[in-house]
Amino acid sequence: MAPHPALFRQADAALRVGSARPGGFGPPVELSLRSRLGLIVIFGMFYGAVMGAHGGRPLQVLYSALKVPLLLSVAFLLGLPTFFVVNSLFGLRKDFSKALGALLSAQAGLTVILASLAPITAFVYVSGVSYQPAILFNALAFGAASVGAQGILRREYRDLIAENRAHRLMLRSWLVIYIFVGVQMGWVLRPFIGNPDQPIQFFREDGWTNAYVAVAEIILGALSGAR
Amino acid sequence: MAIIESGGGERRSSWVQGLRDLDMILRGDRTRTSSLRAGAVEIAPGRLSRVIIGLCLIHGLFMGTFAMFSRNGPALGQVVATMVKVPLLFYLTLLVTLPSLYVLNALVGSRLTLGSVVRLLVATLGVNVAVLCSMGPIVAFFSVSTTSYPFMVLLNVVVFATAGFLAQMFLLQTLQRLNIAQTLADAQIPEPDPDTPSPIRPVSDEFLGRRVKTIFRAWLVVFGLVGAQMGWVLRPFIGNPNIPFTWFRGRESNFFEAVFQTIGNLFS
Repeated sequence: MAPHPALFRQADAALRVGSARPGGFGPPVELSLRSRLGLIVIFGMFYGAVMGAHGGRPLQVLYSALKVPLLLSVAFLLGLPTFFVVNSLFGLRKDFSKALGALLSAQAGLTVILASLAPITAFVYVSGVSYQPAILFNALAFGAASVGAQGILRREYRDLIAENRAHRLMLRSWLVIYIFVGVQMGWVLRPFIGNPDQPIQFFREDGWTNAYVAVAEIILGALSGAR
Repeated sequence: MAIIESGGGERRSSWVQGLRDLDMILRGDRTRTSSLRAGAVEIAPGRLSRVIIGLCLIHGLFMGTFAMFSRNGPALGQVVATMVKVPLLFYLTLLVTLPSLYVLNALVGSRLTLGSVVRLLVATLGVNVAVLCSMGPIVAFFSVSTTSYPFMVLLNVVVFATAGFLAQMFLLQTLQRLNIAQTLADAQIPEPDPDTPSPIRPVSDEFLGRRVKTIFRAWLVVFGLVGAQMGWVLRPFIGNPNIPFTWFRGRESNFFEAVFQTIGNLFS
């Protein structure tokens, strides 16, 4: 059997963390903090690069590669103080490092799953898909990766919840905050793929708007337009 | 909020100590039933208040980023006004509700002194501001990337309401624990305490009558209403970008009507 490079070994660990090792022997799979952070950056950049390759423009590839880890980490950091304070209030301070570790494992798992979908994304691009369907496809990829990461998160949180039911509330609150902030962050950081009719920019000029308001306006516009 | 002052060593450690006090309150170390037997939450209200005001100013700054990044140019007057109003909001609410809480406690037979009630309310304020400030970065992020005034108002209302709700839970549990501790001290029964107590989870209610719990809960509703209306009276906190800056707006309508109107405005 060919030896796996350390990076892929760690990526494998990110997917199996908390569960039994393949082969069934030995302690459950673990992953160091640094490895998790490293995976988020490396695999996040990899998927971002593939995402941005839609128009075949290298600058967009670079920008998107930078944006994916940025999106994940800033959304994470913004929610962290609240997570910390609320955990303390519910008497869960002593478990905080474990809880934080679980969240980071889920993030690392997310990027590994995304990276595994990258070849499919590339294939879809090569098949000549246009801009709007490309956005849709990438949204689906992120969605699928999130669902997978949820599984990792729940597995890691199982022990914590068994110890103290309040952890379940903490997990749910975290998800609400993370998704709420993450959607806005994703909107602000656009473009990830790059409208082929528009120049390549890191941010759009009118970019710093509110995702929720924009979507509400689109929906209302569609409803009132349809009348 | 200057940390560097003459006699710096003493002052600086007072801030650190104040923050440590706040941390202990958050963790529940100050509100274990066993610690409350003395009849009061053991905190230094002056030192803790300084930290609270500091955190209020910081949160005011977070809120003020909306006025700073407004399309019509930065309204620095609004930023300063917001920073001043946040601590004012909390302390005025405390002042307005303090007498009724003291009287209520006396009526249910608690032996809490006025000083103890003040300490209890300051500790609650500490929890409120800690949760509030932890959501500050999220508020600032949305402020910078949003031009919709109704959205920002609603977001801030939700943030303040969440912090207020958790602080209320803290207040309720601490009130109940103070009464329980008093009962236990009278009967000289020891109460087992977990290693990391949660300040907002209820302890067993063997020793607290249902009537007392209902009375406390009713009082908390009043507390919440006063706080909400105080926020309305002290407005504007965020500052409608289409209206020139003023320190206060005219006296009209009330908080709840305004929230409904704002929700309506969000979709227009």
